[in-house]
Amino acid sequence: MCNSRGEVVLEARNFSRSYGEVKAVREVSFSVLRGEIFGLIGPDGGGKTTLLRSLVSLLSIEKGELFFEGRSVAREPELVRRRIGYMPQRFSLYQDLTVEENLRFFGDLFDVDRKEAEGRIEELYGFSGLKPFSRRRAGALSGGMKQKLALSCMLVHSPRVIVLDEPTFGVDPVSRSEFWQILFRLREGGTTILVSTAYMDEAGLCDRVGLMYGGRILASDAPELLNSRFPRDLYGIRTGQPHLVLDALEESRLCGDCHLFGEGVHLTLEENRSPGEVEACLRERNLGWTFFGPVKPGIEDLFLLLMKGEGHGD
Amino acid sequence: MGRIKALVIKEFRQIRRTRAYLGLIFVAPFVQLIVMGSAITNEVKDIPLIVVDGDHSPASREIINRFSALSLFDFRGVADSTVRADRLFDRGEIKAALVIPRGFERDMGRGLSPQIQVLIDGVDGNSAGVSLGYITSMAGEIQKGWIGSRATGAGAEIVPRFYYNPGLESKLNFVPGLIGILLFMITSMLTAINIVREKELGTLEQLMATPLGGIRLIVGKIIPFTVLGLVQFSVGLIAARLVFGIPVAGNLLLLYFMALLFIMSTLGLGIFISTVTSTQQQAMFVAWFSMIFALLLSGFFVPVGNMPPLVQKITLLNPLRYFMSVLREIYLKGTPFRYLLPEAAAMGGMGIGLITAATLRFHRRLE
Repeated sequence: MCNSRGEVVLEARNFSRSYGEVKAVREVSFSVLRGEIFGLIGPDGGGKTTLLRSLVSLLSIEKGELFFEGRSVAREPELVRRRIGYMPQRFSLYQDLTVEENLRFFGDLFDVDRKEAEGRIEELYGFSGLKPFSRRRAGALSGGMKQKLALSCMLVHSPRVIVLDEPTFGVDPVSRSEFWQILFRLREGGTTILVSTAYMDEAGLCDRVGLMYGGRILASDAPELLNSRFPRDLYGIRTGQPHLVLDALEESRLCGDCHLFGEGVHLTLEENRSPGEVEACLRERNLGWTFFGPVKPGIEDLFLLLMKGEGHGD
Repeated sequence: MGRIKALVIKEFRQIRRTRAYLGLIFVAPFVQLIVMGSAITNEVKDIPLIVVDGDHSPASREIINRFSALSLFDFRGVADSTVRADRLFDRGEIKAALVIPRGFERDMGRGLSPQIQVLIDGVDGNSAGVSLGYITSMAGEIQKGWIGSRATGAGAEIVPRFYYNPGLESKLNFVPGLIGILLFMITSMLTAINIVREKELGTLEQLMATPLGGIRLIVGKIIPFTVLGLVQFSVGLIAARLVFGIPVAGNLLLLYFMALLFIMSTLGLGIFISTVTSTQQQAMFVAWFSMIFALLLSGFFVPVGNMPPLVQKITLLNPLRYFMSVLREIYLKGTPFRYLLPEAAAMGGMGIGLITAATLRFHRRLE
């Protein structure tokens, strides 16, 4: 999808928000375009939730500006609340109400016409596969189904923009992938989606992502383009003793940056160093490997690099 | 309106599905009234008593006979010295002792006024006072008999008659008060816990992000809990009637109107508590604390007039204080509305104030 010149739906300009002494979000600027899935990716405590809550008008705005379809969130919170579907971090359902009662309740809260809601709920059942459970209490649903119900609840009023705060947190991989399928279908229908996640592997599912850490968006672009921003050659070592290899490399001072990655280590070389020196170093210490060579950097590699940069900057 | 209605319907659904609520509304009033209504009493009976007879005269024997015959006292015998009485007091076996001094009859014959000493266990001040009252009036009666037999002194006699509660039965005073306390409990505590629960579940955040808004949210919470409170209040009235046979002397409609004003203030308190706490436990603690506070300063146990002036001023901030007196007034005396205007104004004012404060705090979004 190419939305680079699309209409801006959500926008933050130099937005900052703190809780007392703690600066949760620092001078963040970014925008979400019509019809795209924008992912805010980063570890917990990075400021994602604060940013999302502010965007949906739940927090007062201290510094900077937030816009929804060109209108100030601070000045028109009512408009934002009517038009955006927001799903908080913990899926918020009434456990003691049935699936259908939950759906109808949220429809009523948005003043959706009963007839219209009826049709919409059927449509959502189609999406989520919750139809057979419509009379079951929400509390008796599995984690994945609860999450689909929570999503459905905020879709009853057919919002064109939805904001999801870590919707796939703590859900099994199958349900996660099903959930993303639903998001893709929503995007096909023209819905704009802003979603936060701590799972790096979900970055590739978004049209564009913002890497968020320490209250800042460190980089923001399409995931493929972000990967190509990686400034140096990245090497990978696959080994049975990743921890020992990492220790050896850190001691050797051959690497600009090295970190554990899955079953091995990813590293960049210090200037004027060659891969051969790394091999020699490992051999010297009797550490074996099954693969050593250049690899394609992923979001996680970029993230770790940027995070370190952030650490030095402060 | 549609949104508030949706919220109210949702609340009632949830209330209906929570067994504990039903128990609190329909069973608690009966159990509380039966247990507490029978247990809490100012009446003092069966006071264990001995007489220390230092005189061994016909007069002292008459005193002993009269006291031992009375069912108010649990007569434990005669002792020769106060030393023995002291020991019995220490062991907690007696609560009162009469000490008749040596030469009692002789002095009386000489026209002197001999003294009888009364020793009372003063740990429970209230019971001690009541016991003393019984003993004094008993002694007075005996004395009157003696004077009557010797001289015809025409003293004025006081014949008491107690209005509104002729038998001075504690239950008439306590049962209406208990209904008020139950109402305080259910409305303030359940409201606070209910809202904080939504906070914990995250549903409150979701509700705030909808066009529902703070004011509608509060109205949507007030309506179901007001209904709940009134239902429980009615169950309390019925229980008082069935269990203790206490009818409402005054206007029932007025009683409900006053209950409604009272509920406004307790709901306001409950909602306010929910805005300053973030877990159900915290809400429970704060609600309990305020309830105990309200209870002790309500005049339920100790009449407000008996409290130190500063404390009396503090009670003016306590909605339960007003409702407590309103309940007793309407229940026992059938007092009409015009005499209860100050109470109505105080409760109504406090209700509006608390609900406004809570709404304002709610309106400041999530922080």
